[in-house]
Amino acid sequence: MIKRVEVQYRGIFQKNLGKYIGGDIVMIASRMGRVAFSNGRYSDAPERNGIPCKYFAFVTHDLSEEELEAECGAKLDIDAADISLVVDDTMSKGVEPWGWHGIRPVNEKVGHKGCLLMVTRREHDDLVRFMAKKDYPYRLARLEGDASLAGLWVDRDDLTRERCLGAIAAVDPDVIGIEAVEEYLREKTGDENRVRAAREAYEATLRKNKVVNAGEGIDWPHEIPVLPKWHEFEEGGVVVPAVPRGFKLGPRGQNRNEGFKHGTSKTERPVVRFDLCIKCTLCWADCPDECFDPTDDELYDVNYEVCTGCHKCAEVCPVKECIVMVDELEFENTDSPWEHHKQDPAGYIQWAEGKKGTKRIRYAHVTGSTGAEISEGTTVPPKA
Amino acid sequence: MAMQLPVIDYEHIKKAKDAPLEEFYTSGHRTCQGCESALVMRDFAKASGPRTIATGATGCMYVANTSYQTTPWIIPWMHTQLGAGGSSAVGMAAGLRALMRKGKIPKEKINVINFSGDLGGADMGLSGVSGALQTDYDLLIILYDNESAANTDIQATGLTTYGAQTTFTPPGSVRRIMQARWKKNVAPMLAVGHPTCRYVATASATFPALDFMNKTRKALNTGGPTFIHTFDPCPKGWDFHPGYSRELGELGIRSGIFPLYEILDGKVKYTYDPHKKGRIPVRDYLVKQGRFAHLIDEDIDYIQGMVDTMWEEWELPGIAPIKSGLEMANA
Repeated sequence: MIKRVEVQYRGIFQKNLGKYIGGDIVMIASRMGRVAFSNGRYSDAPERNGIPCKYFAFVTHDLSEEELEAECGAKLDIDAADISLVVDDTMSKGVEPWGWHGIRPVNEKVGHKGCLLMVTRREHDDLVRFMAKKDYPYRLARLEGDASLAGLWVDRDDLTRERCLGAIAAVDPDVIGIEAVEEYLREKTGDENRVRAAREAYEATLRKNKVVNAGEGIDWPHEIPVLPKWHEFEEGGVVVPAVPRGFKLGPRGQNRNEGFKHGTSKTERPVVRFDLCIKCTLCWADCPDECFDPTDDELYDVNYEVCTGCHKCAEVCPVKECIVMVDELEFENTDSPWEHHKQDPAGYIQWAEGKKGTKRIRYAHVTGSTGAEISEGTTVPPKA
Repeated sequence: MAMQLPVIDYEHIKKAKDAPLEEFYTSGHRTCQGCESALVMRDFAKASGPRTIATGATGCMYVANTSYQTTPWIIPWMHTQLGAGGSSAVGMAAGLRALMRKGKIPKEKINVINFSGDLGGADMGLSGVSGALQTDYDLLIILYDNESAANTDIQATGLTTYGAQTTFTPPGSVRRIMQARWKKNVAPMLAVGHPTCRYVATASATFPALDFMNKTRKALNTGGPTFIHTFDPCPKGWDFHPGYSRELGELGIRSGIFPLYEILDGKVKYTYDPHKKGRIPVRDYLVKQGRFAHLIDEDIDYIQGMVDTMWEEWELPGIAPIKSGLEMANA
């Protein structure tokens, strides 16, 4: 028997978290007399901030190390996961780690009766409505918490790591057991807070654990491309067709790379109050992903398909409340906000303010450090 | 000898609204959120326009921009090896000249622009860049400097800031500072040593606005081999939230740690002059990056001291580390 665990995480921001959880599973399983190993998905390197990535851990009760490695070691990805741990819930809208991969469902690899374990503050149904339907039942377990984003050098030690281990023990004790998790944390850190965090997460996850029936979810809207075979490549090296030149004013007026969109990197997206815009061009000029489309009324439409949610536009915009970043799970589609604004200016403002809500977060400069500034937003009246 | 070609006379972009709207490097690149190097790509392609061929040495801007058979480039782009930025530009320019001489393609101005990262352009490929700057070809070499080998998850290079944490220079309990080298001063080195190179500049993609695009245009208008060194805050390797990449670039320039200037035919012009505008403490720039989280006050004072020396004691402040007091032999 082999138990396969995948950790789906945000590149760089959660790179250390994914690696630690994979390593911890191996150490804990070994203490239980099981054989295990863990590795990262080869093709994710080099990782980029925000890009969806994977880390794996494999556990067996009855095979030797050599047999386990032969079975699991040389594969790019797994076929079916017993546990798919997702440490940021905005990935439920799909994951596109590289070109020619397509935007794939986050639950793609969850096997029959497997478990999708997600760190989230959302309700069961609020997550399932974004995820692809499967033709067999699986479990969705929720571990309450925010996505723990950190940096390459400064870690965010907010107990997410310990809590994930407790939750894994809850959803499948054949991977790791909760007593072994507690023993491991106690011996390794000597910190009872960490032990308690794992136990509490274990108990909470036992409760927040519900079956998603076959056919529940959505028809996946994104096409999954098929990679060309080696003999289909052109002779004499690799020649990739350039993006054809093409530009006109208005939504989607700029030709873009069709083979890779990059939009699944975002955890938040900018909501723009077009009526407040002073047409300074900064959001458009400073966007590293070319996602703003200039329009004939000198505004800048946002192409949410290719926006990576970097916060730069919101940061450089000189007008208060004009561009505000909002959680990606608040949105159903990537439709043009400028078209919405043109068709129904008053309705658009209402919609935008509804999405923005009242809380404004300004993150600390060093990603892993705590100290985000949270303030109350104001609803600026429409500009005549 | 060089043949006379019709020129593209690029206009100086005065206002943000006059910047070209069309992209020649477009969405769909696997760069980090808030990547400033991607903006360097976007802006040089936008400033130089459709009659441009780019060659790129191995690095972030190669790997991120060719994700499995897809590309964001609209202008033709060619990959070259890590140390081959300069020679690829020479080869491309020579090839175009030969094709034009033989009448195989129309005689027109085609810009050749190479971009190399700090490892490719300033460490490993420096000799190739130097060789390219000694030719009579029209080519522009852009050194996009994110202060590490960022593609392979952040290794120190000769351009990494003193004290920074990288995978090569992790701070330890015995030695805190593992990156003990001071940043290599590449642009002046090239300006001083290559009389054929009439235009050398340093720039940042976002600060001051339009500055980098105009420097690109000035380099292309000047003709011959030219060189621009850009300062690219890297959210991944410098460890800051991607939303602040413009701010970090501005702080680096305002603190004087990265001088901003251009040298045209030997004449130096500061495009951000700290003598007039003042310098902010380097601390304001350093504490906003996780790669400096291990520094103590003493280290920050040392970096401040080095920056002060650059601006107060050098004969050419911020540029050439020659101090006054010239002694003549046998005087």
